[in-house]
Amino acid sequence: MPEKMTMNNGETMIRINNLHKVFGQDLHVLRGIDLEVKTGEVVVILGPSGSGKSTLLRCINFLEEPTAGSIEIDGVVISAGERGKARDAHILEIRKKAGMCFQSFNLFPHMTAIENIIEGPITVLGQRKKEAIPYAEELLDWVGLTDKRDEHPSRLSGGQQQRVAIARSLAMRPKVMLFDEPTSALDPELVGEVVDVMERLAREGMTIIAVTHEMHFAKDVADRVFIMDGGNWIEDGPPEEIFTHPKHARSRQFLAHILK
Amino acid sequence: MDDSADTIPVPISKIPPEARQVLDKIEQDRKRFRVNLTLSFAVLLAGLFALMRIINLDFRFMFHWFGFIMAGIGYTLMVSFLAITLACVLAVVGALGRLSKNPIFNSIATAYVSLIRGTPLLVQVYMWYLALPQVGAALEDLGLHGIQRLFTLPAIPAGVMALGVCYGAYMTETVRAGIQSIKIGQTEAAKALGMTPRQTLRRVIFPQALRVIIPPVSNEFIAMIKDSSLVSLMGVWELSYRAIKIGRRYFQSLEMLIMVALIYWVMCIILQSIQEKIEAHMARGDRKVS
Repeated sequence: MPEKMTMNNGETMIRINNLHKVFGQDLHVLRGIDLEVKTGEVVVILGPSGSGKSTLLRCINFLEEPTAGSIEIDGVVISAGERGKARDAHILEIRKKAGMCFQSFNLFPHMTAIENIIEGPITVLGQRKKEAIPYAEELLDWVGLTDKRDEHPSRLSGGQQQRVAIARSLAMRPKVMLFDEPTSALDPELVGEVVDVMERLAREGMTIIAVTHEMHFAKDVADRVFIMDGGNWIEDGPPEEIFTHPKHARSRQFLAHILK
Repeated sequence: MDDSADTIPVPISKIPPEARQVLDKIEQDRKRFRVNLTLSFAVLLAGLFALMRIINLDFRFMFHWFGFIMAGIGYTLMVSFLAITLACVLAVVGALGRLSKNPIFNSIATAYVSLIRGTPLLVQVYMWYLALPQVGAALEDLGLHGIQRLFTLPAIPAGVMALGVCYGAYMTETVRAGIQSIKIGQTEAAKALGMTPRQTLRRVIFPQALRVIIPPVSNEFIAMIKDSSLVSLMGVWELSYRAIKIGRRYFQSLEMLIMVALIYWVMCIILQSIQEKIEAHMARGDRKVS
């Protein structure tokens, strides 16, 4: 990161309290999730598909509306079921604090790489183009894509698109980064470049919650690993413990499957 | 990070001669088709001219009145441009209404599209011109002074309203489909950056939807140029009204109708080529993105 992030261990950055998500009338996907993440901590969430990992991540920045429970990021608290203007403002607050990276990148196809990156600062933070560009260029350099500055996303590889997407999120100077399977849509040879960026981000002290199947990231970069199944945690702990002595039978089964 | 310098040379195999022959054959076929197509068009055109001679068209008469008829092109274009402008505004508002979660806004937009698409344009034109003053009179009787004058539209405004409101309804559906064709991931990415719904629409959805919408909208415009002839019903001296008048007066409707038809045709060909240019321009660079 061009700008050093303050590594401030010990303070709580994210607090999720008894979070439930029900789709439709009875599809109970999240069943009372609790999670506390400290500043600078890197959390990886693992679990079989359909266990609710993505839904949890999407509830954190309110792309999905939680059905019950509360979410707190950097002091901004929203409880499910709240309504009104104040709540809408709080959601925007939280979204500014939490950057998100999607599996399918979702870059804006009508904008070049640099335009994608300055879009947030200009439209959301009200910066002028002149103010936004220098930092955007630093970020582009930081993800190693200075030479793609004026390319449209359609001219970039998947890995390059995802790196621009990460830079786009970082341009908002978020306190937290949420990664929703950032490498799942990539060709195998392009995974490394994205994981590399995530790793550097973690080293610089960014608070991260990542849903990913990149075992290297989970083992070597994560501070804590959570295993989810059926809409709640079945186990959590430091990676060395989770990967060597999983306590729960379901975790052992799942890990055996993905570590093969 | 990605462009790796290869040190091992990749063996390059040449295209074998038998493959070359196949490629040449394909190229030949393509050329022959192009030549034949041009020939067919030429024959078609010659046939058209021959037909005009056979039915004994009075070309001198046509030439004489050409200038007079063409003087109506200004009205035709003016009515079309004003009406398409109105239609575009109505279409955007209508599309937002159709997608709105506000029941009042949504129902008004839905009713508008249904009513207008469900009735003939001809009837609508007379509505604006002949029936609206009657509504005005009724309201005036209820004590709203001065409203009848407001509701009595001269021919051109009535025509612009009729065409604009009618095409606006059709285009509402075009715009709605354009907005809905943008992937949900785009909205989510915009939201995740902290954009409000309004910002998302303006910065992310509309610019992309526009690319989808432009081709059908220019089609609508071309269709409208022709439908603008309906304002002749109200005695506006536009292209077709002039042609019909002169044709009737001298009992040479055939000449006049053929001429005005050709004028519309040429206009549409020109507009079509402009449309193609715009589309080519908009398609540059940013195609198809996941």
